[in-house]
Amino acid sequence: MATEPVSEQTALQRPAAWEEEADREQVHGLGPWRLGLRRLRRNKVALAFAALFVLLLAACLAAPLWADQVAKTGPNTNHLSDTIRVDGERKNVVALDGVPIGPQYLKADGKFFLGADPNGRDIMVRLLYGGRNSLMIGITAALITTFLSILLGTIAGYFRGAADVVIRNLLDIMWSFPVIILGVALGVALALGGIDIGPISIAPDSLAIPIGIIGLVYVPYMARPVRGQVMSLREKEFVEAARAQGAGPLRIMFTEVVPNLASTILVFFTLLIANAVLLEAALSFLGAGVQPPNPSWGSMIDEGVDRIATAPHLAIVPGVMLVLTVLSLNVFGDGVRDALDPRAKVRLEH
Amino acid sequence: MGKLSRRVLALLLAVLAMSVIAACGDDDDDGGGGGDGGGARTGGSITVSLTSQPDYLDPAMSYTVNGWEPLSISYSRLLEYKRAEGQEGSQLIPGLAEEMPTISEDGTTYELTLRKGLKYSDGSPVKASDFEHAIKRVLNLESGGSAFYLTIEGAEEYVNAGKPEADIPGIETNDQSGKITINLTAPDATFSNVLAMPFASLVPGDTPFRILTEDPPPGVGMYHITESVPNRQFVLEKNENYPNLGPDLPPGKVDTITARIIKSAQRQTQDVISGELDFMQDPPPADMKPQVRAEYSDRYEEHTTVSTYYMFMNHRVPPFDKKEIREAVNIGLDKPALARLFAGEMTPGCSFLPPGMPGFDEALDVEECPWGNPNEPPDIERARQMIEDAGEAGTEVTVWTNNDDPSDKVGEAMADQLNRLGFNAEPRILDGGVYFQTIGNQRTRAQAGFANWFQDFPHPKNFMFLVDGASIQPTNNQNFGNVDDPVLNQGIEELNQEPEMTDEVAERWRELNVHLVEQGHVVPYGHRKLATFVSERIDFENCTRFHPVWNNDWSSFCLK
Amino acid sequence: MLRFVVRRLLQMVLVMFAVSVLTFFIFNVIPNGDPAVRMAGRQPTETQIEQIRKEWNFDEPIYVQYVTTMEKVFTGDLRSYFTQLPVGEEILKGLPRTLSLAIGAALLWMFVAVCLGLYSAVKAGKFADRFLTIIALVGISMPVFWVGALMSYYLGFKLGWFPNGGYVELTEDPIDWAYHLILPWTALAILFIGFYSRVLRSNVLDTINEDYVRTARAKGLGERQIMVRHVLRNSLIPVVTLWGLDFGAVVGGGAILTETVFDLQGVGQYAAEAIGQLDVPPVLATTMIIAFFVVLMNAVVDILYAYLDPRIRLQ
Repeated sequence: MATEPVSEQTALQRPAAWEEEADREQVHGLGPWRLGLRRLRRNKVALAFAALFVLLLAACLAAPLWADQVAKTGPNTNHLSDTIRVDGERKNVVALDGVPIGPQYLKADGKFFLGADPNGRDIMVRLLYGGRNSLMIGITAALITTFLSILLGTIAGYFRGAADVVIRNLLDIMWSFPVIILGVALGVALALGGIDIGPISIAPDSLAIPIGIIGLVYVPYMARPVRGQVMSLREKEFVEAARAQGAGPLRIMFTEVVPNLASTILVFFTLLIANAVLLEAALSFLGAGVQPPNPSWGSMIDEGVDRIATAPHLAIVPGVMLVLTVLSLNVFGDGVRDALDPRAKVRLEH
Repeated sequence: MGKLSRRVLALLLAVLAMSVIAACGDDDDDGGGGGDGGGARTGGSITVSLTSQPDYLDPAMSYTVNGWEPLSISYSRLLEYKRAEGQEGSQLIPGLAEEMPTISEDGTTYELTLRKGLKYSDGSPVKASDFEHAIKRVLNLESGGSAFYLTIEGAEEYVNAGKPEADIPGIETNDQSGKITINLTAPDATFSNVLAMPFASLVPGDTPFRILTEDPPPGVGMYHITESVPNRQFVLEKNENYPNLGPDLPPGKVDTITARIIKSAQRQTQDVISGELDFMQDPPPADMKPQVRAEYSDRYEEHTTVSTYYMFMNHRVPPFDKKEIREAVNIGLDKPALARLFAGEMTPGCSFLPPGMPGFDEALDVEECPWGNPNEPPDIERARQMIEDAGEAGTEVTVWTNNDDPSDKVGEAMADQLNRLGFNAEPRILDGGVYFQTIGNQRTRAQAGFANWFQDFPHPKNFMFLVDGASIQPTNNQNFGNVDDPVLNQGIEELNQEPEMTDEVAERWRELNVHLVEQGHVVPYGHRKLATFVSERIDFENCTRFHPVWNNDWSSFCLK
Repeated sequence: MLRFVVRRLLQMVLVMFAVSVLTFFIFNVIPNGDPAVRMAGRQPTETQIEQIRKEWNFDEPIYVQYVTTMEKVFTGDLRSYFTQLPVGEEILKGLPRTLSLAIGAALLWMFVAVCLGLYSAVKAGKFADRFLTIIALVGISMPVFWVGALMSYYLGFKLGWFPNGGYVELTEDPIDWAYHLILPWTALAILFIGFYSRVLRSNVLDTINEDYVRTARAKGLGERQIMVRHVLRNSLIPVVTLWGLDFGAVVGGGAILTETVFDLQGVGQYAAEAIGQLDVPPVLATTMIIAFFVVLMNAVVDILYAYLDPRIRLQ
């Protein structure tokens, strides 16, 4: 069993090689699903990382619980001139010269478990809420990318001709546009005034903005392989058979073609979340992602880097959470690909 | 394949070894350079750092501290400030003019005479007509400083005509006698100060009408800019043609000042500690300040600047159109908490006119502040009650701020504090480059937010225009809160007729400031301190002058 | 072949055109984005703002503005709205830095990845191989700015082994140049080393079983010779094309973040700063430069592929 993306995968990124690629594509029926599941179950490492991801997700979802029950503060609540009791001693959350308190772990009954930021906000609470935002953005953006990619890829691959030319060029343009610059440009532009076009109105600090940006920029990476696969699927016997029975193109697309893309979609989806989380971090780092005061791991790293000399944990902790999340998704996605479709050609950039 | 990996390791080691060699070489170079100036009071060369490229390196254009620190010593003006620390440094003295101006009875005609035998750094003679040329450049290039010179007769028409070579009728010069006569359309109490601003720096009469950041024109400064590579570095060299302007305007000490642009404040601090840099323009980052204060107190000092940080509240936008709401915010804003965000570089105070400014009232600033001592926690309950009584509990408020450190954190803290008072507030953080123009645009309808002001010149009007109803504009408004109080408006207009800052005039400015603070039109919360941090090579005791107008005076630096 | 090259180059021009239009319009439809008001300084009069509008053609319809701006891009007259510095010169100053970073990092990751990939293939299935796989995944899971910031702080600031950011011109002192770039190169390369070594590993494993390798082995060639002459050479071709594509992508992605973290002041950092200030001319120019690299590398790879594999040309 080959465990790696195979060599031809480069060809996928080159428009000129699409057609030829499609011819070589191997299509699986519905059979391999059970086989894949069995293979996946044997891959202990992938399962362990899947469990880790679920754990991280659960922790982030439980953010309000920690905030209300343990830390007794919100993610955006400042404690600039407050004091806390640590081992019976009163301590400033933020010292007079602006140095915030370090990690207290359980010494203050769970308050300021990981210390405070310069505004006197509880890092632990922000970390969990930040994770919620990061994951929310990652998952929603990945859903948008997947939906758009299937839509565009299927239309282009199935109808070919003019639709294909238009979509292919559109994807080419999006692909050549530097992801980070596009993301930051849109992020900065929208963070200033939001969107206010007719019935659509989005506040400048809405999470919908980073979600939309990230959802869009990854479309070419997924739509191209989908298109290639659809192109080869439409020549297969079962599609011919359906067509002979008088099924319309829409019906063929949804009942015959799309289900056969399932394994590719699943693998892509996992990796997309991982990459979306990373891109969100990069955008927030450049000030164009989640808008303050709302936390995200990326913006927390950004703030932490400024204080790295006196409080290195401010940069390290959100970074480690981010790496663990992305790593668990990558390892799991890798395992799923090996199990379902060892020759799948999946690759993303960041 | 074991061999291959060993080869990789060998290569990595080689690279590492090379780096170590490179590092040693580096140290040697610097040690040598430092030795040159050892022990000398004048001479030698120093390297200073800026966090960002100055807006412009052209005296007609620059309007930032960043630009003024180098430009103030590279050019001279007809009038100057005494090169001294504290209150003394706010004193206007003749610069390139022989005497202080003779001002006509009605305050609209200024007469000055240029000193004889002055030369620019390139050796060419200074002419009286060069002054008019300098003002033309300011107006024609749409400089941020043009507003100051629009009171000159015919200046407005000159701008509108858009012809650079046209004459400004209000400025008459005579190259033979050196006489300069300026006619104003109306009296302007600050005009002497305006003549001492970097915009009015004398430059040769053939200086082109374009922005010369890459190739700054010659001047009559202690230094002159000999090299300028934007976003990388610029070099100041001692001007051999600098005239003797008396002990209050002494020549520079070191021969060469190389100014580098280094974005990371952390790196700058580290380099000043190690001696690779001799001075950093911005203070060390909050992060490293405790260490610097503790370990390098023999070459680190903080000075209160003539500045005020305040929260503006837009009088034209609910809920701040209600007086009781503005008063409640004055009572409820936690000023000592905000001060902590400046890592000890903020003196809490509630006077709008800052210390060092004529009309400043120390009692009003702290002990007798009508809204409670700014060093103590506020009466949140009372403020909360007032807001509830006014029916504004739960009202949505957007608190605007920019992303410079620490104004972003200040905005976030303000929003949080407004939430404690019962509002539903959220911060909105914009890039520092677009912030003031955005909130100064009436269409933004910014409700409240971060604002600050550092003096352009030591005259109360330079602060009070920020709350003057007459200065409200549709765009680029500086009166962010649209404060429009008849008492203030009338007072400012009357005091603008007084060209002399007599005790009586200062007292009237003081009364205006008291009125402003008591009315609670804005929420001042403190005055900024700035740090001087220099390397060990610099003679910190004798050679670092912190000037009230020019901040750190680079021309005062000398080596031990 | 010629027709294919011409068509590919035409497509390149089309994409570049679309990129420029898109960038220009993103920044011209923002509310509050009136550049004349922002350029006018602190207390301008209405006439002054009018003057600026006229001088910079802001009063023209947007498509006219686009055309005049693009003319300036090609004649090199483009100037920043706010500092009024020539954009072309700023880019020329930054380009050597960006290219130093990108080329150095690309060589580093290619070199290390080839070594690791080969090693991994030879040890396939053993502990070292699995360990490398995990390392590879960790590598692609780390945000480059985070790795960069930590490296810069711990190795540069705290231990003082490397310079804490900054750049020295290659022409000034080549050793110091490399010394200043070691950390940025490493931070950027980590991202790709893992991925490339895994691709190479699988290619090597595929190639080893090819007929011609067996033939070579049957002919009695030494194991080392087979590895280098047959297996490695054939496994490298797809990796090198991938490398070409990624190089373009790095200029427009990882390099921006890396430059910002290490304060290299290259084109990417220039772009990031200009975007923050909504300074359209530099944003437009840098985006186009970066997109040009991406598109160019794509075209080169395509043309090379078409040259190597005639079937593609017929498409």
